[in-house]
Amino acid sequence: MSNSRTAILFWQLAILAAVLVIWQWGFEWSKALLPKGYVPKILDPYFVAKPSLIWQSFLRLGCFADASGFAACIKGNDNNLWLATLVTLKNTWWGFLFGSASGIAAGLILGRSDFLARVFGPYIVALNSIPRIALVPLVILIFGLGDLSKIATAWLVVFFVVFFNTFEGTRAVDRDQIAAARLLGASEFTVLRTVVIPSALAWVFASLLPAVSFALIGVIVGEFIGAERGLGKLIIEAEARANASEMMVAIFVMMFVGILLAIAVRSLQSYLLRWQPQFEPSV
Amino acid sequence: MIAAPGQGRALARDEDQTAAARTRIAVQGLAKRFNASGREFVAVDDVSFEVKQGEFVALLGPSGCGKSTILNMVAGLLPRSGGRIFIDDDTVEIGKVNPRVGYVFQRDTLFPWRTVEQNIGYGLEIARLPKTARAGRVASAVEKAGLAGFAQSFPRMLSGGMRQRVALMRTLILEPEILLMDEPFGALDTHTKLEMHKTLLEIWERERQTVLFVTHDLGEALTLASRIILLSARPGRLKEDFDVAIPRPRDPVAVRETAEFGRLYSHIWHSLGEEFRRTRAD
Repeated sequence: MSNSRTAILFWQLAILAAVLVIWQWGFEWSKALLPKGYVPKILDPYFVAKPSLIWQSFLRLGCFADASGFAACIKGNDNNLWLATLVTLKNTWWGFLFGSASGIAAGLILGRSDFLARVFGPYIVALNSIPRIALVPLVILIFGLGDLSKIATAWLVVFFVVFFNTFEGTRAVDRDQIAAARLLGASEFTVLRTVVIPSALAWVFASLLPAVSFALIGVIVGEFIGAERGLGKLIIEAEARANASEMMVAIFVMMFVGILLAIAVRSLQSYLLRWQPQFEPSV
Repeated sequence: MIAAPGQGRALARDEDQTAAARTRIAVQGLAKRFNASGREFVAVDDVSFEVKQGEFVALLGPSGCGKSTILNMVAGLLPRSGGRIFIDDDTVEIGKVNPRVGYVFQRDTLFPWRTVEQNIGYGLEIARLPKTARAGRVASAVEKAGLAGFAQSFPRMLSGGMRQRVALMRTLILEPEILLMDEPFGALDTHTKLEMHKTLLEIWERERQTVLFVTHDLGEALTLASRIILLSARPGRLKEDFDVAIPRPRDPVAVRETAEFGRLYSHIWHSLGEEFRRTRAD
């Protein structure tokens, strides 16, 4: 066991090291070794930057290497890396929260009511067929360039994913379990609270993990199209200056934001679904 | 209704029945018809019987004879197509839960997200009994089910027998006077089944609930019941109704060696055999 774990870790680090080395020096080496025309463009630092440049850009954008000092640098730039990250994280979080809360509520209500499910069914299918990203310019027109339009975009992408899973989960609740609860004295509301919701929770969580990534995508796209702050805005500005290393900094920070959010959802999931075998606390 | 030879209802029972024992369940002219792909078929046809206070009645019949359908109509889980059902003096209605009635399913209906303790305490919890008042009753029910040490386990960690014990206790903790059981041990292996019989006999011989127990297992009916109602093959009709005069307390293994068990076993075996032949002849 520990043997294979060491082996896995070894290969993971080896791959990381190889990628970083090729990224850093690959272009120069291939220029020296290969005939002209065979040098892979994908390695050109003009397009993909390189680790050392990205690190320098990170220090600069993060105000670690500013002559005026950290505090003054932060003040002087209202879309510095820290503020941009904070804004993007905050908007993603609220969009995710509102989106999943309303998706869960709508899924439960329609899942429990055949009548409402039939009335609203076609509308939901129709709305779901619209590529959400196509609505972003409209959302920005309505809610402006501020945070609200980013939260609304994230809401749009999150809602349907969570809604459909909650709806299916509510439909899949064991009828005998509901009958058992009734026979033990449960009211309609108690059945919902003590049987339907816990039972559908596994389905809900199956959608929450992708929903977090979707929320982040929604916010970033919103920031691309029209924003004052945020990581997406940072990328657009770097693109205007053809600065690949700054774009890479923003992309890496997004990766960490995404990982952070996924970890948060996962730990909530493994607590709430601890009755399921795959989330059993390891001994 | 044909009485088994020498087994008239007037014979002394082992139960503390008096002629004046109160009728708890009354089924009158009960019928159930289903519509399957445009064709109507009769599942239950004109079934009438009564269950008196403290009786343990087994509803026995071949598979598909409608015995579970009858039980589900008595429980108010299924609408009836004809006839009447009373529990005490109240007509049974769909969706109206009678707190004096407890129901045990054949299928596992435990809540997998609740621990053993939380499953057993479910009824008390939703009745808003404070936690401190629940704890004692739940602990003693866990004990009675022989599940001490498993109170904090989730159902998936338990064996089939243990799970069905939890299900039984989840119902019994509410102290129902009438118990409806739908082949509760049908999915268990022989050994576990005998253990469950022992548990149920101990509880029933102490508390004497009024029980209506659906089964297709002849041995099980004879082991547990004080009276057996035999149903015909589809459509389910009443075929025979007789007492099981095996003295109590009963032991699920020893009971099989009594003369009464052997005599009734072969009698019902032949009676059921006719039904199986009829089904096949159809």
